[in-house]
Amino acid sequence: MSHTQQYSTPRRGSAVVLLVVPALVGGAIATALGVYGELHPPTGFAVGPGGFTGPLAMKAWLTTGAALLAILQVLTAMAMWGKLPFEGAWVEPTHRWSGRIAFLLTVPVAFHCLYAVGARYDEPRVMIHSILGCLFYGIFATKMLALPKRGVPGWTLPVLGGLLFTLLVGLWLTSSFWFFTTIGVQF
Amino acid sequence: MSRLGPVYTLAVGAVLTVALGVASAQASPAVEQATATPIETASTAPPVAEEEAPTPEETAPPEEAAPADTTPKKVDYAGVVQGNGGLVAISIRNGKAVAYFCDGHIEAWLKGTAENNTVTLEGKDALITASLGGGKAQGRVEFKGKSWRFSAAVVKKPSGLYRATAQVRGARIVGGWIKLPSGQSVGRLTIGESGAGEAAAAFEGGVVTWYGIPLTPQEPDAFIDTINP
Repeated sequence: MSHTQQYSTPRRGSAVVLLVVPALVGGAIATALGVYGELHPPTGFAVGPGGFTGPLAMKAWLTTGAALLAILQVLTAMAMWGKLPFEGAWVEPTHRWSGRIAFLLTVPVAFHCLYAVGARYDEPRVMIHSILGCLFYGIFATKMLALPKRGVPGWTLPVLGGLLFTLLVGLWLTSSFWFFTTIGVQF
Repeated sequence: MSRLGPVYTLAVGAVLTVALGVASAQASPAVEQATATPIETASTAPPVAEEEAPTPEETAPPEEAAPADTTPKKVDYAGVVQGNGGLVAISIRNGKAVAYFCDGHIEAWLKGTAENNTVTLEGKDALITASLGGGKAQGRVEFKGKSWRFSAAVVKKPSGLYRATAQVRGARIVGGWIKLPSGQSVGRLTIGESGAGEAAAAFEGGVVTWYGIPLTPQEPDAFIDTINP
């Protein structure tokens, strides 16, 4: 116990060191997704959740679901940090599970994007979407790996969580919002 | 639980990704799913599936009147691409040629010329060369570095090549379909320039609706002069 306590109150410099491995893993994941999207020949088809007219609608709605849960993520996180005038035993589980569900909602979407379509850079919307998508999973992995660590800098989770929310909103704007405003609100 | 929870979350995401990958890799091409009636030998036998082509009445070359070049003036070919489950259609109008290669997932629009009973077409990452004669176009499809042989018989309406385009709030939608006399059909709808799209259902004439957007599949005469792959 004294052994862990010795490291649980580290100086500021060594606190940042705890983030090196999560950041490297996250960077590797983001890079790997981008390289895969570039090199893998698009199949034009991927297996995904049914119930929608087609994969474009499936992606638009699952991303919308994730974005709505992301708003809940920000609100519950603010409550956990005492920035909102409410608290309760439900806040932390709600944050944890809404985040998990949001993440799992995005997986079939990103899978279809990368497997069936691939990363593309010939159209601004698609280029921005490709880059944000790769970054999103890199930051997500960084945050998941940083979460269990004790003694990371205090800004770690707010910064990573804020980045994730920003990236997801950017992803939603360049996909679902485009789908709803171009093709229409279709299922 | 609380310390390993985030790792479990990542692991579940990874497992889901792998599961989707395995399922997608095993999924059969759309063209086979869309086949209402089994084609006699389409996928197994290397020889050509269309055997009815040499019927004298539907050979196009005889109506040719030019002095030396016996290339058909107006003819439509459609057939199965050997070894990849896709279909190919070629239409020729007065020396101009347009072609479409599609398996429901991948697709290519091509344009080119027909002369001396040879047709050569180019598209994005795609090349088709074929010799014309005996009521068939026989040749090769090259697409993104791969190459397949095909033999496409002369077909008559309602079989053949169809294309529909629409402009919706700044995005261009293109649909392509190939119909064979056997009833086999394939098609794909795309939106924008990014290649985002979906396999298209077969149609029986008239307007096709995609996410509420009306599309009118047209015959090659309507688009052969405007296509720009």
